[in-house]
Amino acid sequence: MPTQDEIYTKVSATLVEALNVDEEEIRPTSTLQGDLGAESIDFLDIVFRLEREFGIKIPRGELFPESIFQGDPDFVQNGRVTQKGLDELRTRMPFADLGDFEKDPEVTKLSDLFTVELITRYIQGKLSSQ
Amino acid sequence: MRLQGKVAIVTGGSRGIGRGIVQAFAREGAKVAVVYKGSQEAAAALVQEVTQAGGQARAYQADVADTASVEACVKKVEEELGAVEILVNSAGVIHDDLFVRLEPADWNKVIQTNLGGTFNFCHAVAFAMMRKRAGRIINISSVAAEHVNPGQTNYAASKGAINSFTRALAVELAKRGVTVNAIAPGFIETDMSAAVRNKAGDMIKEMIPMKRIGTPEDIARVAVFLASADSSYITGQVLTVDGGLSLGAVAH
Repeated sequence: MPTQDEIYTKVSATLVEALNVDEEEIRPTSTLQGDLGAESIDFLDIVFRLEREFGIKIPRGELFPESIFQGDPDFVQNGRVTQKGLDELRTRMPFADLGDFEKDPEVTKLSDLFTVELITRYIQGKLSSQ
Repeated sequence: MRLQGKVAIVTGGSRGIGRGIVQAFAREGAKVAVVYKGSQEAAAALVQEVTQAGGQARAYQADVADTASVEACVKKVEEELGAVEILVNSAGVIHDDLFVRLEPADWNKVIQTNLGGTFNFCHAVAFAMMRKRAGRIINISSVAAEHVNPGQTNYAASKGAINSFTRALAVELAKRGVTVNAIAPGFIETDMSAAVRNKAGDMIKEMIPMKRIGTPEDIARVAVFLASADSSYITGQVLTVDGGLSLGAVAH
């Protein structure tokens, strides 16, 4: 089982390739969309590369829960994630720290959850449960 | 040579417009996969002709309407020629009939080959192109998508859909350096248009401001442009290549 540092280094290298960014631009707190310029098609590529890099399977919607991104009315109303949506996020993303987001759950801020740190934590969880 | 060493797939490559594109790409230095469905002899003859002229081409059998067949074909091309950098969807059929008489089978056949075939090949190469951050997709449409003729509901629908598909796919792949464009030919000297040309005779030439029927080479030159670095800032466009036919001038 690789250490957290080792996982982080590999995740960074994956993002450098997938997003065509410089390694120096990547910090643990960098957000994929806001800071590193990822678009929806890039998320597919990132998932594909992480699967290959770590030898894991990432089921669709597990790392990036699409139902919430796509504005399912059960989960998103008036541009804000509903209580049900927050519960869903908590269940689906136990690896995410929702503290700040819950205070002001604007759906546009959802993308800020997806940081390099979060992916590292997610991969760590996946590897330890194997 | 503008396409030196590039791997290109040309569907419907053994005949008509596709054949002209294969020849032009090979002259520009590309390694061309000639995809044919039934015309094995024509494909083999073309490969021989290209090879004798110092170019590189190889024939691959596939049914563009069959997803599994297309995926297997692309895999084989990748193994034998390398990563696909250029895709030309030129395979197409016509089954004209007045709509009230049109058999559902003829509707399906045209949609599945022209539109479904374009989907299948794009789907088989897009992810790899996207990941390489390089790729050219060229879909062969038709002026008949916008300038419609009776008896062609199926054909016009398939080509109109290809135009929309081209734009929509272009938007998805633009950021990743993959361009997606279409060429809309007018009347071109091919087996496919022979029946119409025979029936209408010189009347067709009279309708075309340039007073001549196009050749596969007329289309192939534009395909080379869209496949080359010269067109790197063009995406999602449908280029009409028809000698002025679609301008709709009544007297000239």
